[in-house]
Amino acid sequence: MIRILVRYSVLFVLTLLVLTALSFVLAYLFPGDVLVNLSGITPENEVQRDALVRQYRLDQSYLIQFWHYLQQLMNGNWGYSFTSGLPLREEVGLALPATIEISTYAMLMALFIGLPVGYYAGIRSYSLSDRTINSVSLISYSVPVFWLALVLILFFSLELGVAPLSGRISLMFDIPSVTGFILIDILLSEHIDHGLALRDALHHLLLPTLAIGTITTAAMIRITRRSVIDVLQKPYIAAARARGLSRPQIFVRHVMRNASLPILPLMAIQITTLITNAMIVETLFSWPGIGNWLIQAIYQRDYPALRIGMLAVSTLVISLTILVDMFNRMLDPGRERFERGAI
Amino acid sequence: MIPRSQLTFPLFFITALCLLSGCTQSADDAFYQSGVIYCSESNPVYFNPQLDTSSTTTDATSHQLYDRLLDFEPDSGRIVPSLASSWMISDDGLTYTFQLRKDVSFHSTSYFTPTRNFNADDIIFSINRWRLPSHPYHPVSGGRYPYFESLGLADNIASVERINGYRVEITLRQRDSSFLANLATDFSVILSKEYADQLLKQGIPARLDQFPIGTGPFRFVGHRKDHYIRYHRHPDYWQNKHSAEQLIFDITPRSSLRLAKLITGECDATAFPAQTELNVIRNRENLMLAEKPGLNIGFWAFNTQRPPFDNPDVRRALAFAIDKNTLLEAVYFGSATRAKTLLPAASWAYQDDADDTAYNPVLARKLLDDAGIEPGFSMTIWAMPVERAYNPNATKMAELIQRYLADVGIRATIVSYDWSTFRRHLRDGLHDSVLIGWSADNGDPDNFYRPLLSCSAIPSGTNRAMWCNEDYEQLINQALQTDEIEKRRAIYRQANRLLYEKLPLVPIAHAYRYQAYREVLSGMAINPYGGVRFSGVKKAQ
Amino acid sequence: MARFSLYDEEFHPSPWQQTWQEFRASHIALVGLFVLLMFIIFSVFAPWLVPYDPLEQNVDGLLIPPSWQLNGTVSHLFGTDALGRDLFSRIIYGCRVTLGSSFILVILAMLVGVSIGAIAGIMSGVRSSILNHLLDALMAIPTLLIAIIIVAILGTGLVNSMWAITLALIPQFIHHTRTFVRNEMKKEYVLASRLDGASNFQLFFNSILPNMIELLVVQGTLALSIAVLDVSALGFLNLGAQPPLPELGAILADGLDVAYIAPWNVALPGLTIFLMVLSINVVGDGLRSALRKRVSH
Repeated sequence: MIRILVRYSVLFVLTLLVLTALSFVLAYLFPGDVLVNLSGITPENEVQRDALVRQYRLDQSYLIQFWHYLQQLMNGNWGYSFTSGLPLREEVGLALPATIEISTYAMLMALFIGLPVGYYAGIRSYSLSDRTINSVSLISYSVPVFWLALVLILFFSLELGVAPLSGRISLMFDIPSVTGFILIDILLSEHIDHGLALRDALHHLLLPTLAIGTITTAAMIRITRRSVIDVLQKPYIAAARARGLSRPQIFVRHVMRNASLPILPLMAIQITTLITNAMIVETLFSWPGIGNWLIQAIYQRDYPALRIGMLAVSTLVISLTILVDMFNRMLDPGRERFERGAI
Repeated sequence: MIPRSQLTFPLFFITALCLLSGCTQSADDAFYQSGVIYCSESNPVYFNPQLDTSSTTTDATSHQLYDRLLDFEPDSGRIVPSLASSWMISDDGLTYTFQLRKDVSFHSTSYFTPTRNFNADDIIFSINRWRLPSHPYHPVSGGRYPYFESLGLADNIASVERINGYRVEITLRQRDSSFLANLATDFSVILSKEYADQLLKQGIPARLDQFPIGTGPFRFVGHRKDHYIRYHRHPDYWQNKHSAEQLIFDITPRSSLRLAKLITGECDATAFPAQTELNVIRNRENLMLAEKPGLNIGFWAFNTQRPPFDNPDVRRALAFAIDKNTLLEAVYFGSATRAKTLLPAASWAYQDDADDTAYNPVLARKLLDDAGIEPGFSMTIWAMPVERAYNPNATKMAELIQRYLADVGIRATIVSYDWSTFRRHLRDGLHDSVLIGWSADNGDPDNFYRPLLSCSAIPSGTNRAMWCNEDYEQLINQALQTDEIEKRRAIYRQANRLLYEKLPLVPIAHAYRYQAYREVLSGMAINPYGGVRFSGVKKAQ
Repeated sequence: MARFSLYDEEFHPSPWQQTWQEFRASHIALVGLFVLLMFIIFSVFAPWLVPYDPLEQNVDGLLIPPSWQLNGTVSHLFGTDALGRDLFSRIIYGCRVTLGSSFILVILAMLVGVSIGAIAGIMSGVRSSILNHLLDALMAIPTLLIAIIIVAILGTGLVNSMWAITLALIPQFIHHTRTFVRNEMKKEYVLASRLDGASNFQLFFNSILPNMIELLVVQGTLALSIAVLDVSALGFLNLGAQPPLPELGAILADGLDVAYIAPWNVALPGLTIFLMVLSINVVGDGLRSALRKRVSH
């Protein structure tokens, strides 16, 4: 157990180091002035420039520069956005939780719908209902997420008018960002009608969650179904059946637990897809998340923002992946790490 | 057997989601009616229109946060009193005396509480900031004042004097028949000197342009880049119009999304509805569309400082290569008139019989051959990334022009950046040619001729052709020396002739101005002179 | 297997034939294959199939509705876009650009991934272990992020977005190859050829690679569907193919501006991407289950 923990911590730190190094190198790779790319401040005169060069140790060797960069990151000095002039830490701090929030809800949707449906399809494998579920999930899995989002907007917002299409909450509400998670922030804020605000926020959550969640749910169904079918073909199921266990008994005692184990690492891969999809969908729903922010940054060629945004998103995704992987490894030490399968 | 509950679970989940999110729509209407949401197309660069001529900035600031000495009456274009209650002009036309309004209070916000009302010091501060390079606030926030620089206004003002607390005297060096109009434009806003002094003392002067204080109908509450700007009503507004309690700019770059939000009611009004969408708006019962011929021009400017575009013949060839009527039809869908000169027909100096280029690819190719431009020559067309009345879809226009140029053997690449980056690069002259335009800030013809093509407008970044011509300078200066309309008209005719010969830019269209809003809004009106106004706009109960 | 054992001696289907037979048994998979073949034909023969030049603008025919609508014309099957370009021709060319570029980048990713994976699989030890771990962690970086960075460094364009997607696809090929090679190395036939004196190089090409083809085909279809989605998503976000290049995602993004008056400009390109991805997934799914059945028999 401790061995695994240590191994994964080392892996985690190493990966973070590589990522930080990458983001440092980006400052050199991006077009324009390295100093501006690193700091986000355009020096107005030579004196200020020299001061900044000294501050960022640009007059010293690359290794020292990197060491200094690392320290700055640790201290929370991430530089400034080139276009808004605000500290990047603040901007990422506002945007990242919004993405995490929407992804969490989509993941919850996948768990609450995908898992049961997947189990059901797996147990009824090759029956009509299984084929239907399988086909529907394959279809949902093939829909381009941006198109799905547009279709949802067209149908639910413009035709039926049941759901709003932009943002996290009506702009009439002025909710100060404390945790970055809108539902919690609403509960924490004062001087507003909490019921009204919560209803408004949930209303806004509906379509983006549906757009991202559909694809993850489809993936979840397929993974679960496959896993259940694999388990059902195992000799110990035949043995249990021979012993005269009823189907619910077999399901609860053998299938459910054994089928759940391979799902976890496969879901870890879905995290990447999920966050990518969330980032794309954000731009359509004007969701103030990191994807929207990064895409605005690339349109505006805001290099300091891209540098930090890349670091933040990849750190998030990789931490989650490693965490899930470690968790899985602890539960099931015999398994080959990072098992990847077809969906 | 499979437990039934597993099947019912998804159903339950969906129902729960529905219940929570209120599939039953019974919102607290009064709350939603207390504010007005305007879908704007981009972020203002500063919250001070002195620093930026883009209409994104002026829309968001000029008439919301600030007042000017004078105003235009929206219907007639007449100059009417605003912060100045009256004014006098000396006989030689050089001295202007303004009597100021009393009891005008500045905004009181979380970051500033005024201790005194508006007075003459604020006027002097606001003008001197852009006028005097030695002023402590002059270099703050980049130190460029494009509108005033492009007019050369700073050089023409000899002095701004305080007579008493509520009386100011401005003396000019030369007569300027457009001076009062310039003071009434969106850019001539009045800032708070007290606030500025306070910031200077704290060593953070740049906040003046990011956390604004003015005397206008709304006060600034917050701005989140690419998302929203939030204003609250200024409770002690001197005009005491009954505006909405909140005014929110919802920043939505895509015009199709803006329309979608207008339809769902997430916006109450939107900026720049796309020409293709006008009929959708007209056909919806709860949406209103206001339209007026606009004082604007969309054009295709060549970077005349870059060879081979420094050669008028090359520019002429390119002008002959494109079919303007097609552009009008495909891009404006008939909501614009063909432009021959810089001036739209609504201007008194409009010249109906001015020369115009005609579509003639054969002549174009010949001119190019004569100028030594081989087939296969490549150039860039910069297409602005935002919609404007004068050019609702520059990318589309660029694609059309790309095809026309291909017919005469020129390979064009379309370049586009985010709006603020785009303009920064334009000012640096990185373009070969650009599709952009100009919306007038006042009805005076000088407001077209000078900012668009005068020498002083090159560094200020409104002269997209980077063109500087002495004869032209002389003509447009001469036109300001007189108040006689016929004389000025004759001079502008000469200028038109000169422009046709040199073709630093190809005028393309004068577009109508549109504003789309929901029926529930009362008090919305198009302001032909510059930015949108929300003073007095409310949602019906 | 349902075959009479009587004929078994006369007919020994090769593994490929067996797979094909299993594949054929599924009607859905066949339909998927048919649709995919159609898309491939569209892509390969696009210049001969289209009635109009996809870039040709026609100002007299802006936003003509598709032929099945009341005021559509037969001459423009799918109608025209805001510049009067024939949507049918653009979509056919769009298939060529989107599917073609996806194909190229999957092949590229496969070549690089398999090479690295084979080396990593044959080699073992601490060095490759650390590398593997890092690689595995880094492969979690989303394609969109890699694309944004590449666009920031090199600028927008279809080719640059292809680099980004290729980079993002390589790790999974590495991973599968490595796992496969490592497992095969333990098998007797590999040991046998090793005893025959085969070098690592020969071992891989003569013994392991032929057994890996199926895995590669399955992984390839999976990667292809991801690639198509990514290419079009980047085109849609204006980070990939630039107008006027007809790429399906970019066509869709173009259509968004006229979504209200000409919804087919959004619906049809989206539907095409969807069908393309679906057909690839159906074929991949069919292949996988066919292989699975063959192995289990």
